[in-house]
Amino acid sequence: KDAQMRATINQKLVETGERDRLKELLRTRLIESGWRDQLKSFCKDVVQQKGLAHVTVDDLVAEITPRGRALVPDKVKEELLQRIKMFLSQQANATSDIK
Amino acid sequence: MSVHGCQHLSAFKAAKGTDPFRIIYSYFIACPSADARRIKAKSCVCHTCRQTTLRLHACMSCIYFGCYGAKHIHDHAKSKKHNLAIDLTYGTVICFVCEDYVYDKDLEDIARSFSQKPTLNLVGAYIKEPFSTWEPSEDEIQLLKKNPKRRKVNSNSTVGLRGLINLGNTCFMNCIVQALTHTPILRDFFLADRHTCQMPGESKQCLVCEMARLFQEFYSGACTPHIPYRLLHLVWTNARHLAGYEQQDAHEFLIAALDVLHRHCKGTNGMSCSNPHLCNCIIDQIFTGGLQSDVTCKQCNNVSTTIDPIWDISLDLGPGPPAFRFTNSPGNYEPTSLLECLKRFTRPEHLGSSAKIKCGKCHSYQESTKQLTMKKLPVVACFHLKRFEHSTGYHKKISTYVSFPEELDMTPFMSSSRNDNNGFSNQIILDIPTSLSCDNKYSLFAVVNHIGTIEVGHYTCYIRLHKDQWFKCDDHLITKATVTDVLNSEGYLLFYHKQILEYE
Repeated sequence: KDAQMRATINQKLVETGERDRLKELLRTRLIESGWRDQLKSFCKDVVQQKGLAHVTVDDLVAEITPRGRALVPDKVKEELLQRIKMFLSQQANATSDIK
Repeated sequence: MSVHGCQHLSAFKAAKGTDPFRIIYSYFIACPSADARRIKAKSCVCHTCRQTTLRLHACMSCIYFGCYGAKHIHDHAKSKKHNLAIDLTYGTVICFVCEDYVYDKDLEDIARSFSQKPTLNLVGAYIKEPFSTWEPSEDEIQLLKKNPKRRKVNSNSTVGLRGLINLGNTCFMNCIVQALTHTPILRDFFLADRHTCQMPGESKQCLVCEMARLFQEFYSGACTPHIPYRLLHLVWTNARHLAGYEQQDAHEFLIAALDVLHRHCKGTNGMSCSNPHLCNCIIDQIFTGGLQSDVTCKQCNNVSTTIDPIWDISLDLGPGPPAFRFTNSPGNYEPTSLLECLKRFTRPEHLGSSAKIKCGKCHSYQESTKQLTMKKLPVVACFHLKRFEHSTGYHKKISTYVSFPEELDMTPFMSSSRNDNNGFSNQIILDIPTSLSCDNKYSLFAVVNHIGTIEVGHYTCYIRLHKDQWFKCDDHLITKATVTDVLNSEGYLLFYHKQILEYE
């Protein structure tokens, strides 16, 4: 049921272009807060550790993902959540108007 | 790591060209139109498990989408011997035989062509100018090759710190120069070479060009103190009242310098910027805020509002009515913190019977209340604590310690916090719902201090490097300082910058 709701919400986000807008917003906030630079330097560490010739994207994803997730600033999460909520309430109003 | 892909990709390109990549990219990754988005929304699911997962990949040889985490795309690749797939989030190509992503110049060019088109016609985008990484031009590549020495700026580097020689009581100027060269957004403007001189052929007379040269000196990495004689001369020529070797007031110098910079940004001829609201020079973009003055008629409650542009906020320190009571009785309350000063600055003030104003609505002379609040916050806020009393021949310096915070929230002093009953509902500001962009929060980055008396004194300043390193600048002497040193200092001019910047 949960997965179903997720899929519907995601679909609506993509269709209306909201997902792309939010993605740009998130990207900008993460760059502004220095998150991107931090992760970039982690990546460099991983590459140095594993050796440039042997490291794969999967290695990087495995090492970076948990750190990246933990480092997202709370304010950024709050802002995104707010915007998604606003979007959903707009959508709900829109559909109820159609009736 | 090369941009020639791998042998498998080359073989694929030889057989099928770059069209499969281009088609998949344009339909599912770049997504220019609303229709394309609808198709994308419906079809971007894994064909095996029907989930929309992260890292969905599209097979390059047939129509199949598979998720990465559950290895569906891997299974597909193995069973069908379709070795190449595209990551639908980023447009990168993975080769399952090489077991890694491969990069091919032709495909990267195609991808770039999509991002350069104004296809992101995201109506109502939240971000007006999305960030894109810097790509060097041919000239820049040549310059970089010719100058192979690189300086790495990390959180410990002290690039940007430089002492200034005192040219004879010029410590007042030195402190302001230190504060300006360490104003992050101003530094970025000058180091990015954004100034075009409005006095062609006379760049030596242009104060903005001189500032640009100054930034070059500061960030050159040179350690010997700089001698700012050209700057001093330009200031003397453009602000006669500051000329001479006497000690001047640092605050006066700041305002005069901002004024000359603002004028020179627009040139000496041409449009005079008498209406700062129309000016878009870097000085106005950074320093100009809007101070709202609301005068309420006691008779008919009509509110007359004016908004004036300001470059700084001057705060009284002397004894006066307390900030927390709406009273007009002269008090002996002396503020001991920046917040108290601001509260007093923005409290509604009863204009007595000797200062009746003609009300525009009821057309009679009435007593009124006046209140000042901030309508528009500047990117850099400068607070001037009025320590120098110049009342009727009596010159005195107020040396009381006034505490100031490292982080400042201006929300309670905004015009939007003012309720309709002509004043704040109560001085204890209730939980203000956090707005989406916490736009009113500031961080301290420079403090100018005056030591001594009104006759004989000396200016020094503290400036902040990176996020948390403070340095004391005493003319040519730069020493490391702690934030406690800074917060315990007397404080005369306090410089704060916004924490979150919204670029227009």
